[in-house]
Amino acid sequence: MSILACNGGAVLAMRGRGCVAIAADRRFGIQAQTVSTDCQRIFPMGQRLLLGLAGLATDVQSVAQRLKFRLNLYELKEGRQIKPQTFMSMVSNLLYERRFGPYYAEPVIAGLDPVSLEPFICSLDLIGCPMVTQDFVLSGTCSEQMYGMCESLWEPDMEPEHLFETISQAMLNAVDRDAISGMGVVVHVIEKDKITTRTLKARMD
Amino acid sequence: MALASVLRAELAEFSPNFPKNFPKNFPKNFPEDFPDDSEGIPEILRDPPGPPRVLAAPPWGFEAEPEGPGLQILHGTTTLAFKTPHGVTVAVDSRATAGSYIASQSVRKVLPIGGRMLGTMAGGAADCAFWQRLVARQCRVQELRNKEPVSVAAASKLLANLVYQYKGLGLSLGTMLCGWDKRGPGLYYVDSEGQRVAGAAFAVGSGSSYAYGVLDRGLAAAARSEEAACELARRAIAQAAHRDAYSGGCVRVMHVGPEGWREVSHHDIAELQDKYLEA
Repeated sequence: MSILACNGGAVLAMRGRGCVAIAADRRFGIQAQTVSTDCQRIFPMGQRLLLGLAGLATDVQSVAQRLKFRLNLYELKEGRQIKPQTFMSMVSNLLYERRFGPYYAEPVIAGLDPVSLEPFICSLDLIGCPMVTQDFVLSGTCSEQMYGMCESLWEPDMEPEHLFETISQAMLNAVDRDAISGMGVVVHVIEKDKITTRTLKARMD
Repeated sequence: MALASVLRAELAEFSPNFPKNFPKNFPKNFPEDFPDDSEGIPEILRDPPGPPRVLAAPPWGFEAEPEGPGLQILHGTTTLAFKTPHGVTVAVDSRATAGSYIASQSVRKVLPIGGRMLGTMAGGAADCAFWQRLVARQCRVQELRNKEPVSVAAASKLLANLVYQYKGLGLSLGTMLCGWDKRGPGLYYVDSEGQRVAGAAFAVGSGSSYAYGVLDRGLAAAARSEEAACELARRAIAQAAHRDAYSGGCVRVMHVGPEGWREVSHHDIAELQDKYLEA
């Protein structure tokens, strides 16, 4: 079985007007067996910056922890919050260091610039190739399903509430067509003054 | 092989080549003059020359374990059946997966065999559908000949013998035959390995271990009433759907009693889980 499809999981981020949203499923399984339904795939990396990781669960945790370590050192040296674009480069560098024995984790970054509050989303592959888009980014075992949902539902300049509805529907319906993702969805919407976190009621099969 | 010979046996009496006014017109130089009935069978239904053809499509999806002899990949499903004094309670999920893609959440995994028996489906869908339909046909013919409903033991033996001829060629079948005959409730597990066992309770499929956990706990209490039995079956499938990635969709509960089979209930697992997981 593909290593990236061993534990299952999915992460999706969307950009709206002055806001970004990031969502992830909550299943942690070992192939067919569901072990828990409260797995954390989205990690806070700054006041308005969230990192989501999909892939092998052990590497998801390792990458998030090592990245937080590097980020803490950066903030101490620089004395300020990191910019999302710079953070993307930091993630890319960490992943490419393991070019010939990679971390099996594919990250998705969503955040607002600390100064200009410009929304930013990007994703990277498991060896650190960055991709910045203006609409949505995703990674996970049901990526094809998520692409279909996002292409149909996304529209530019969505307000935070509308963005929340859109990302929720995209995520819920995509994971319902994947056997190894699902078991609940958590959605974070990042605006200039707050981050709203909601856990969605989803099919638990 | 089984398929063509079964058809040939049925068609013999209705073949246009069958001699008229049999046995008065019995040919003198038998067997040279006896019409070869295989001409009466369409080309497509005759046994092909050469080694036996594999009827089953090759298994597709993820190749998690190499398919060696003795290694049976249990395809994604959970089905269960158990006997009670009132009859046989059968419950199935309705998910079909291709690798990790959910192909359907509304597959019918119970196939009626006549009005008095049910066969569950686990393994290859085409294999189950085809062979159970063939067995249903055989049962009907037997019923007409003997003027008596066919017993579950006989039907399961027919199925087991049919698939045994294709053992090792890639058929994937894990089915439970449930019925009510003159001996009371009957339940047999038949699979494409040639196994045929009678029993009081079975769960089949990738989610069977989780279903057994719930089933074994409540079997004694389930014998009390038909309602309790159906609730237990429903609960077991819901639990398996939760833990097993390849089971889900909706639960269909059926009951086979002395009057025949009927569908008891059909629930979406999401609404069942609201009820059970909060309790």
